[in-house]
Amino acid sequence: MVRFENVGMRYGAGPEVLRDVTFVLEAGSFTFLTGLSGAGKTTLLKLISIAERPSRGLVTLFGQDLATAKRSDLPALRRRIGVVFQDFRLIGHLSAFDNVALPLRIAGRHEADYTRDVEELLAWVGLGDRMDAVPPTLSGGEQQRIAIARAVVAKPDLLIADEPTGNVDSEIGARLIRLFAELNRLGTTVLIATHDRGLVESARAREMRLVDGRLVELRTPRP
Amino acid sequence: MKRSIVPEEKAMAPLDVVITVMAFLAALAIGASLIAGRAATTWSEGLAGKLTVQVLPPKEGSPHQGLANEVEAALIVLRSTPGIVHAAPLSEDELLKLVRPWLGGEGLVADLPLPQLIDADIAPGSEVDLRDLAMRLKEAAPDSVLDDHSHWIGRLRDLARTLVWSAYGVLLLIAIATAATVSFATRAGLEAHEEMVALLHQMGAQAGFIAHAFEWHYFRAALMAAGAGAAFAALVFLVAGGLESAGVDAVPFLPPLALRPVELAWLISVPAAAGAIALGTARLSVLAALRGFH
Repeated sequence: MVRFENVGMRYGAGPEVLRDVTFVLEAGSFTFLTGLSGAGKTTLLKLISIAERPSRGLVTLFGQDLATAKRSDLPALRRRIGVVFQDFRLIGHLSAFDNVALPLRIAGRHEADYTRDVEELLAWVGLGDRMDAVPPTLSGGEQQRIAIARAVVAKPDLLIADEPTGNVDSEIGARLIRLFAELNRLGTTVLIATHDRGLVESARAREMRLVDGRLVELRTPRP
Repeated sequence: MKRSIVPEEKAMAPLDVVITVMAFLAALAIGASLIAGRAATTWSEGLAGKLTVQVLPPKEGSPHQGLANEVEAALIVLRSTPGIVHAAPLSEDELLKLVRPWLGGEGLVADLPLPQLIDADIAPGSEVDLRDLAMRLKEAAPDSVLDDHSHWIGRLRDLARTLVWSAYGVLLLIAIATAATVSFATRAGLEAHEEMVALLHQMGAQAGFIAHAFEWHYFRAALMAAGAGAAFAALVFLVAGGLESAGVDAVPFLPPLALRPVELAWLISVPAAAGAIALGTARLSVLAALRGFH
């Protein structure tokens, strides 16, 4: 699903923020990415979501070498990835419903086809009664749940999330993790970057830890 | 309810106001060029095909009788010339009306020996040998002078042509300024939405999808702003037409400032062009911005 081989990344002429990163995310796996602030977690997620290009090394996504992929192939690859951004990146003038439905609109689906799916998903994340609310009127936690719903609504092959439970209480956090687990059970590969040790400890999942831009594999779940 | 991805502004942005003003000026320039073109045609057509024969009172003998004889002789020559369909002397009232601005009322001119004028019309499409006609008139009425207005027609045509080309020049300059304004407004708006373009790109939207979302937004905005400007200009022309119908002569010697319904339709080209420019600029700008993304 995702393969990194000796990947290095630097912004401009700055120091390398990722160094010789090598790992594989198997299809259907569930992985936590941990590390201190500034360790390179967000940069790694950007490389996986094709938001950045690595300075060196090989990145393969869905069997496609990104260095040789045609530019016109990238949108289709991106549509197979659901991303929960740390800063949510919701569109302020669109309702919760329209924000969540955006990936489906981008995929060319008609409103009549997806209305029920979007409504059910919003109800699942506890926002069934806030579908018409616009993000500026919602709390941080509610915005985060919309961002998560948007990332999963198109049932992506790969879901990557940057601190997805950072702004919600433990009950909602556990519910969101169950949502990720359910998606994972249905075949979606999940990678979650988090500081939340409790979240990592509670899940029987693989953990990759970044230390100063280098990847340290800490834990692989026992079969 | 699915909403536009690009937000609709509730209030008119300053650049929309600029587009409205530029569109107003462009529509005025179009109207002015149409009026100038119509005036050129009217002036040329009005004098073309017309002849005037001036018969001066003879210096010898009875001025009144001599004048009448020469007028009669000139009329016979004119009416027997192929191609001339009408020839008639001006009445005394018409003559007095012509000289009144310079010589005053009847009292002063009553005793003056005024020349007699004969108006003649040439049938449309007919050719009259004016040199031969002038010679024959001189033979029949030695004190007659033939004026075919060619000098005035030439001058008027030159003036009208200058007016029309000046109007076109002004129109071109305003069109360029309007196009630049619309283009600038569109680019400025896009810069404000750069984050959204990046988000849509990150979510896997094709360049065409993103460009489509923005180009229609800016097309509508420019169409509305330029439409308002053109509507104001149309209002100006309608008011001018109304005043002229009410007998108020806006500017002496100039042709009527009112536009005909067909000419008013030309003003629609202003918002249409503004919309098209905005659409094209938005599309090119979005595609250029997307080329900057990975």
